[in-house]
Amino acid sequence: MSVLEQLGALDIGTNEQVDETLQRIADEEAKVNEKLESLLAKQCQIEAKMSGIGRSLSLLHTVDSDSNKLNDQIVNTAQLAESVSAKVRRLDLARCRASECQQRVHDLIDLHLCSQGVVKAIGEEDYEKSATHIARFLAMDQQLLRRTADDVQGSITSVSDAVKTLEDATEKTRVLIAKRFDEAVKADDLASVERFFKIFPLVGCHRTGIEKFSLYICQKLANKAQKELRNAQDIAKAESRLQLAYADRLTAILENFARVVEVNQPIIEAFYGQASSSLIDMVSILQHECDTEVKNLLMEFNKNRQIQYRSKQVNESTQRSAGGGNLGSNSIQALGHYRKPSGGSVDKLNPKEIDAIIAEITVMHARVELYFRFMRRRLQVHVETCVPEKEQFDIMERYEKIMKNSDLRRQMQEILSTYLLLERYFMEESVLKAIGLDTYESGQQCSSMVDDVFFILRKSIRRALTTQSINGTCAVINNVAACLDGDFVNALKAPLKSGYPSGYIDLAQAYNAIQTSLQQGKLHSSDADRGRANFLVQLNNADISTEYIETLCQTMEQEIAGTFPQTTQVERQMLDSCLTELKAVRDALKATVDFGMQQLRSSVIKPRLNPWINQFLNYSHNLNEEELAAYEAGETFVQFFIVQLDGLLNSFKNSLSPRNYDALVSILATEVTIQLERAIKKISFNRLGGLVLDQEVRALGSYLTGATSWSVRDKMTRISQIATLLNLDKITELSEYWNPENNKEMSSWHLTPNEVRTFLTLRNDFRIEDIKRLQL
Amino acid sequence: MEDYKFLFKIVLVGNAGVGKTCLVRRFTQGLFPPGQGATIGVDFMIKTVEVEGEKIKLQIWDTAGQERFRSITQSYYRSAHALILVYDISCQPTFDCLPDWLREIQEYANSKVLKILVGNKTDRDDREIPTQIGEEFAKQHDMYFLETSAKEAENVERLFYEIAAELIGQARSKDGSSSAAAAAAQRQSEGSSIGLGSFSAKAAQSNCCGGLASGGSNSSQGG
Repeated sequence: MSVLEQLGALDIGTNEQVDETLQRIADEEAKVNEKLESLLAKQCQIEAKMSGIGRSLSLLHTVDSDSNKLNDQIVNTAQLAESVSAKVRRLDLARCRASECQQRVHDLIDLHLCSQGVVKAIGEEDYEKSATHIARFLAMDQQLLRRTADDVQGSITSVSDAVKTLEDATEKTRVLIAKRFDEAVKADDLASVERFFKIFPLVGCHRTGIEKFSLYICQKLANKAQKELRNAQDIAKAESRLQLAYADRLTAILENFARVVEVNQPIIEAFYGQASSSLIDMVSILQHECDTEVKNLLMEFNKNRQIQYRSKQVNESTQRSAGGGNLGSNSIQALGHYRKPSGGSVDKLNPKEIDAIIAEITVMHARVELYFRFMRRRLQVHVETCVPEKEQFDIMERYEKIMKNSDLRRQMQEILSTYLLLERYFMEESVLKAIGLDTYESGQQCSSMVDDVFFILRKSIRRALTTQSINGTCAVINNVAACLDGDFVNALKAPLKSGYPSGYIDLAQAYNAIQTSLQQGKLHSSDADRGRANFLVQLNNADISTEYIETLCQTMEQEIAGTFPQTTQVERQMLDSCLTELKAVRDALKATVDFGMQQLRSSVIKPRLNPWINQFLNYSHNLNEEELAAYEAGETFVQFFIVQLDGLLNSFKNSLSPRNYDALVSILATEVTIQLERAIKKISFNRLGGLVLDQEVRALGSYLTGATSWSVRDKMTRISQIATLLNLDKITELSEYWNPENNKEMSSWHLTPNEVRTFLTLRNDFRIEDIKRLQL
Repeated sequence: MEDYKFLFKIVLVGNAGVGKTCLVRRFTQGLFPPGQGATIGVDFMIKTVEVEGEKIKLQIWDTAGQERFRSITQSYYRSAHALILVYDISCQPTFDCLPDWLREIQEYANSKVLKILVGNKTDRDDREIPTQIGEEFAKQHDMYFLETSAKEAENVERLFYEIAAELIGQARSKDGSSSAAAAAAQRQSEGSSIGLGSFSAKAAQSNCCGGLASGGSNSSQGG
């Protein structure tokens, strides 16, 4: 803003204002002067800089011309460098050619040396030397040699001659070595065999070498195996392992093959290294021989252990007991799984007889699994160290295929099938036997068969684990579940079905029973007693079995995890699923327990309770003060009733397992309340009668609650509420009880309004109209 | 925990090479792997399906058809809710063996197990067993019937879904809809009281049979 403008904007109307304005203008002027002075002070600095710039300008011209020169030089150098590097490249090429040439010259020199040496070596039968020459020859580029021969044609003599000599020599040596090898085999000269085995790769016959050597070994092993098989029994006898004679022979066979691979693997890696499939070729040939030897062994095993005959016996016995399903019948009857114990059959196989065979088969199967695992591991190590990465997978794949398709594998599947058949028979028959031999010692709650049966089942599963086969283990677990669910549950249930012998209902029946037992010369009560004891024992057996199943599953789970540390997810799921199935048999056992409890309810509790509850009707509940005093002084109903109940429960307390006893008390409580309620409806009450009833119900409730660790209080709720109703002072008191918010300690009503009215009418001092008028 | 309301076990049986594994693979993975090797022992797959708004876990046991695995495969019959008996419509011997299979089923399986006869490989031109023959056989032996092609994915989904629906129906009619019921349903126990559904097996069959066979030319009269 200019000064004039500033002035224009000012008000200069009065003197003061003029002064003020003047003052301001003076200030402004002073400021401007100051600025001007400072600018002037910078003048010489600026001048100095200007002159500096002037000087630099001339320098810059020099820089410009210099950099142009430099640029030219760089371009020149670049061109030079390019031409130099082209020369270097050419030189390198030349050097390469020279070295190739040198190589060829070397080759040629070697060729001559070799061709001379090989003839001499062959003449001297120095196969190693000749083979080394040939190996050197084979390592040369054959095409190049031929071209060289063409190139030098005419000049000097004999490149092509030398090549020809060597080719002939190679052919000759190959034939010769093969011949010598065969001779060595014939002479059974192991040292020579190994000598020539190492020569084969030198003359380029990797495959032949492996094949010939493998066949030689196979032949040796075959002889050995045959001899051992013939003496299997004697050897076993000497080692006192007769029962494992064939498993031991099988082990020996497999060990032999494994050893061959183990011993020869380093040799093959050293001499046959270039051909990466050498070891797998050998394994393949060996496996073939192994199949044959195992087949021979198993034939002998089958014959000697009478496997066919025994399998047939087992199958026949199974079919017999299954009732022989009619083939093609249109109606498929529900046979269920229950097999009748087919004792007494003449040619029935004794499970003990096959116990040893089963054990032997499991050992055999486990050995083969071990053998396959060993071979796989060997090959894995081999391919990881000696085989190019891209071929590794193919070779392992090839091994898996060899293994999967091998006859040995197939035979093991067959033998596993035999194992499962025999194991199932052994298990089922042993279980039936344990059931048949069931004994009960007084004082015990369970009988011998529970321990026996679970011992057998655990033995079977454990044995299945030793086969090392997941499929086999799963099948045995399934069979165990079937056996428990079938034979075992049925055996427990049979005595429960016929009911609990409840003693004699009336005198006539008792008299008859005594007569008959006297005639048969028995103690008269023993039959019924034994029946009762048996009933309770089986009930306890069923109860304890539910725990045993749990334990069995847990133990087996651990042992399975220990036996198969590396399982695939599918295998894991399969095992889990089978174990779950086994655990589910618990449900069938629980149903059995429930069934038995219902039998107790109908044959013991109900009939016994009846007369006792009837006693209740004999006590009047229309009492005056005196009568009440007299009643309370004497034996009250509830005292009598509790004594009776106590007697009843005590007769069961020691013979039932704790859980079953609790269940019994629970059933008893239910039944007592039902019957008592029915009795209450049959009589009438006055105020004091109601009081007595309430006391009695409370006493009963506390007795039953004290009798068991389970809660029976909820079972008593309804009857307590009835007693409360009948114990009302006035009918109007009901509203205090009826509304739950008025009474916290009372659980919600188990009675409908109609029922409440019905029970209230039992009080003869309540008026019908009042009851009707109740708002519920 | 996995979220499903029912767990059903389905076991496939039948001669070697009729296509059991292919049916299972087609259903569980949507694949048809040609050149399948023979199954060893048993194989096991799980697929969760939704039927009538319920999540159903199907545990499918694919068994080996070869004789030497019989003692392994037999052990799975007992716990099966449904058994699928498969034959090859282009191979008479596989059909001729059906009575043998039925005998095995009768001996080892729960008497109330759901049985389905499946003629597989309808994609093949060289059919040897006419649909009607298979149907007759199924009717005679109280089985449901369906023809499938694992290769063309024909009727495969339907087969398993219908089985699931039928098993749900049985489980529900037996006991409300608690999942424990499904587990308990397999328990063969005390004759008739606890089994696969309390409603008449015959009625169930005619329902499902009609349902299974109603589509296309191979419709049947029902049970």
